[in-house]
Amino acid sequence: MRRGLISRSLTELPDAVLDQRLDRLRRAMATAQLDALVIYTNNTRPAGVSWLAAFVPYWSEALLVVPRDGAPYLVAALTFRVKTWIERTSRLGDVLHNPRVGLKAAQQIAGAVAKNAVVGVVDFDGLPAGIADDLREGGPDLVFRDASELFATIRTKADPAEIALATKAAAIARHALTQASGETLNVMIAGIERQARLNGAEEIYIAAAPDLAREARFARIEGEAALGRSFALRATVAYKGAWVRLVRTFCESDIAQQAPARFAHAVAQLPSERGFASGFDSWLIEGCRLTQPLEALMGSGFAATTPLAPGALVSAQATLQIDGLIVPVGAPALLGGEGEAASVLVDPL
Amino acid sequence: MMKTLAQERRQRLAVAMRESGIDLLLLYGNAWQADYLRYGADFGILEGHGIALIATDGAAELYLDSAVEAERAEAEAPLVRVHFAPDIARAVGARLDRLAGQRLAAAPRRFLPHYLADPARGFALDDATALVDTLLMHKSESEIAAVRRAAQIADEAYEVFLHSVRPGRRQFEIVADVEAYLRRRGCPDNFMIIGSGGKDVLGMTPPSERRIAPGDLVTTELTPAVDGYFAQICRTLVVGPATHAQQRAFAVFVEALEEGIAAIRPQARAADVARAENDVFRKYDLGQYTTSQWTRVRGHGMGLFADSKPHLLEDVNTGLEPGMTLIVHPNTYHPEAGYMVLGDAVLVTERGSEVLCRTPRRLFEVAA
Repeated sequence: MRRGLISRSLTELPDAVLDQRLDRLRRAMATAQLDALVIYTNNTRPAGVSWLAAFVPYWSEALLVVPRDGAPYLVAALTFRVKTWIERTSRLGDVLHNPRVGLKAAQQIAGAVAKNAVVGVVDFDGLPAGIADDLREGGPDLVFRDASELFATIRTKADPAEIALATKAAAIARHALTQASGETLNVMIAGIERQARLNGAEEIYIAAAPDLAREARFARIEGEAALGRSFALRATVAYKGAWVRLVRTFCESDIAQQAPARFAHAVAQLPSERGFASGFDSWLIEGCRLTQPLEALMGSGFAATTPLAPGALVSAQATLQIDGLIVPVGAPALLGGEGEAASVLVDPL
Repeated sequence: MMKTLAQERRQRLAVAMRESGIDLLLLYGNAWQADYLRYGADFGILEGHGIALIATDGAAELYLDSAVEAERAEAEAPLVRVHFAPDIARAVGARLDRLAGQRLAAAPRRFLPHYLADPARGFALDDATALVDTLLMHKSESEIAAVRRAAQIADEAYEVFLHSVRPGRRQFEIVADVEAYLRRRGCPDNFMIIGSGGKDVLGMTPPSERRIAPGDLVTTELTPAVDGYFAQICRTLVVGPATHAQQRAFAVFVEALEEGIAAIRPQARAADVARAENDVFRKYDLGQYTTSQWTRVRGHGMGLFADSKPHLLEDVNTGLEPGMTLIVHPNTYHPEAGYMVLGDAVLVTERGSEVLCRTPRRLFEVAA
């Protein structure tokens, strides 16, 4: 569950930004002849709803309904005792509470729009089966269509507000990682996490590769783990709906300096993968298309599922071999437009 | 975590599957609803979807749609065969298509990606949620030991909370202190909500920017996990000296918690515990504050999920049995004091119950 700061900032995410996103969505809905759009959210898949309405669930699940004509509203399984909290942290026309969010959303659409309205569902295949069943029960004459491609198309290119939030998330992660001091790994992780939360992180996950001489895979630390001479930490940070990953290796300073520079050079060549072709053991590019904040988009271990779009925000990570040492490194990046190089948002060092 | 606990769970699962005639069991999980997946695959998922396939010999395969989670699972759950599958529903569907003639089941079925439960698929998935729920609720000695350790850490973390609350601090700064303490103790997960203020506060939420002020009631539900097993504590404090009205109100919560715990015994029902708590409120003409308008549940199970079954409500007739672990918390609004919480983690034993939390049931006071 989320237990960092969840708050709406009218400075960082003004109404006008959300209005413009909704306008783009409604234009796409009109072209696709959709009467309404439904997007699912829980604390694992919050990124679609937070992008449109700033709502981030700390727990439980909800559906955002965007009528083609009318204000978006949330149907939440959270009880109405947290209605004021939802309203305070989001921008919504209304909040309806019902444990069966699919049933209520469908009844609402059928009643307010049309019994046989055409409803787009983002990531329909991934929607919880119980909610899909309830949508059909609540609106037996509604026509449901998958709206994943429609939604991905309008949100792929990051807008300035999104870039600013991701940059802030990256700064929080970087500053937090500078707090990595102490005799044990747990003390380091505690210091990093405390700093990130004090700086307003909505969430932070720390994973570690405690001894790079033995194991380069990252794990969440439970209990104690012995630190090697070189180790790496990965901070996954969310700030007001923007998610980034930053990976830093703690090792001899020459190597620590080299890695980010080589990494940034490879990232600059994205969406081409040729920058990672030599000197890298592995690499991964993640970004948000639909509702999952950091979805694997391309990488050394699998075929590209989605072409990287110009102007998209991504988080990149890679593993280099330098003087026989495995060196993981990673940072969020902004892809360039036509003929422009991509750039990391922050130096992981 | 100890591999013996993971293996023990998998063995219990395999036995239950064989007894129910299930050939292959799908366990779905995400960071919110992670317990079914963790039970069978021994992996605490944080991002994306995960689906474990459990065979009757206990062998487990784990499909994850997050690349970093797949790498983490390989490191953290070495006994499980891990697959990274960006389109997890289709990857698992393709696997199930090859299992013609076998009886397949899933838990919790309602959370499965719609694609897998769609009648258009060439396979059918029975609902095994109740089967797995039974296993999740009835804990082995090793599982109880993990809950005990989590309860001990919950007590310690509440001490940290008490020292962290002072006027001028913001709610999210207090939670940062508690989370940092838990990470220092090697405890990677926690469920925590907080409330602060006066009679205008109706419940708890994630931390906000609100600053603590003199006279505030500060409530928290704090739920650390050890080896994936959560244990909860709920306490209320006052910033400054408690008023007589606050003390009087809190006494009702103490009495309700005591009555609720006293009602726990084998053969009792979840409803009996909720009724015992609520009867105390009714005795003081506060019955309306036990309804869903003011409170969600009067407690619930604890285990691999912070909010497990059974929920303690007057209409839940799940029988209590030794080995179940619960939080009993008569948390609700009191018209003279505001929203108050008080709850202890409890183990159902052969003779009644054992309270796992050690923090005094006091309305704590911190310096204003």
